[in-house]
Amino acid sequence: MTPERFEDHVWRDVVPDDLLQIYAPYKRETFVGPNPALLLIDLYNLAYQGGPVPPLELQEHYPSSCGIYAHNAIAPTRRLIAAARAAAIPIFYCTSDLAPMAAPSDVSATRRKMTRRSPEDFEIWHEFPPQPGDVIIRKQRASIFAGTPLISHLNRMGVQSVIVCGESTSGCVRASCVDAYSNGLKVSLVEECTFDRHELIHKINLFDLHHKYVDVMAVDEVIAHLEGFGAQAAVAE
Amino acid sequence: MTDRIWDQYLTERDKAVFAASGFGATAEWGKRPALLVIDVNYAFCDEKPVPILESIKTWRTSCGEDAWEAMPVLQRLIGVCRGKGVPVIYTTGTRRPDNWDSGSWSWKNNRRSEDSSSPRTTSHGRDGNDIVDAIAPAPQDLVVLKQKPSGFAGTPLHSYLQLLGCDSVIVTGTTTSGCVRATVLDAFSLNFRVTVVEDGCFDRSQASHAINLCDMHAKYANVYHSDVVAAHLQELPSGMFDLPSGAGLSAQAAE
Repeated sequence: MTPERFEDHVWRDVVPDDLLQIYAPYKRETFVGPNPALLLIDLYNLAYQGGPVPPLELQEHYPSSCGIYAHNAIAPTRRLIAAARAAAIPIFYCTSDLAPMAAPSDVSATRRKMTRRSPEDFEIWHEFPPQPGDVIIRKQRASIFAGTPLISHLNRMGVQSVIVCGESTSGCVRASCVDAYSNGLKVSLVEECTFDRHELIHKINLFDLHHKYVDVMAVDEVIAHLEGFGAQAAVAE
Repeated sequence: MTDRIWDQYLTERDKAVFAASGFGATAEWGKRPALLVIDVNYAFCDEKPVPILESIKTWRTSCGEDAWEAMPVLQRLIGVCRGKGVPVIYTTGTRRPDNWDSGSWSWKNNRRSEDSSSPRTTSHGRDGNDIVDAIAPAPQDLVVLKQKPSGFAGTPLHSYLQLLGCDSVIVTGTTTSGCVRATVLDAFSLNFRVTVVEDGCFDRSQASHAINLCDMHAKYANVYHSDVVAAHLQELPSGMFDLPSGAGLSAQAAE
């Protein structure tokens, strides 16, 4: 997207003009980098439990659910994954490492009080079924890179950029984006396919990431790029 | 296969085991290499070829004359890489003046206290961590400062390889058994193809040099003579990489 439209994103209604002025020097063209892979962050059942309602209403029984925000992201995420499969780019899912004796008991992705969880909570949501050629990363902390072999896999595949989506914007998505950037990867974060438990924290974290570390992009724009990518590959063949 | 430098150290059983277990196969080179020059600084090389037992009186980490036998090999490979626009990445050490950050290094050497009590410099006042002038970094090269054996440990090296789109590394420098091996191992673990230049590496221990080359060749890397590596580099296309412009840097300022 052209620099003139750099701020045309979901945070516009909460970011005041003086803040936009402070961040004006970050304005630039946004795009998907070379040789991309798709990173699907924490699209597990826990995020969707309780159905498409405001997360506050789920606080008692499903405190980890992103409720309506998770469910709103399902349709665009399905389109994004389909486009990635059509373009034959590498696809990585991640979820919690629940292996017994793998970590001290106080190790987790956030400082939130943990309620009892079952292995089913951390299975990938049924509308995004992993395929045999995909890779599932089991992680113990927020970032998909922290203490995992992901970067070795990306090197082996010659990946130089990542397309990221999932949850939560302020937690595992943000941590994964910053680590990707620090590892020298170009990062495109897909706006409609990324979510949190509250709109404000979602918007401000997208704002931070967009200016400093990633290109926040509309799902239509990313899909259009992937379709071109597939067409190019077809021409090359 | 022709005789290798490590053959004299192997027992007949060792040779039979290597032959029967499938190790030491020839791996692919990769298509986009970077040349790594590990720790070829004054502390490991001294100022000129000095017999090692003499040299280590001044520089306790010196590899003596073996360092200077490798120097023309390094000059040649660095020249070929620069000519092709292949990235040349140096590593060397860095330390606080009070040496607090030597950390675990102080646990296994009883001359470590010399580093802070009487810091060594060359006769021209150069620091032991300065890369030797004979292979000085050029403005378009990269210099990675490190504190531990591996060039990857706590450094941006991996992110540089990622940015450059490298799929492989060609490793030279010192010591074969220490920082070269550690760097090779981490590169392997990150899924980079690894080549080690047999005559472009050196160590203060001749036996360690040979056996570590043997180990790396068996498991992690192709260990080749510089003639083979130079011939391979010559076959690569020119200008594959978006290297630093070097603008504003003199040769030594790159350090």
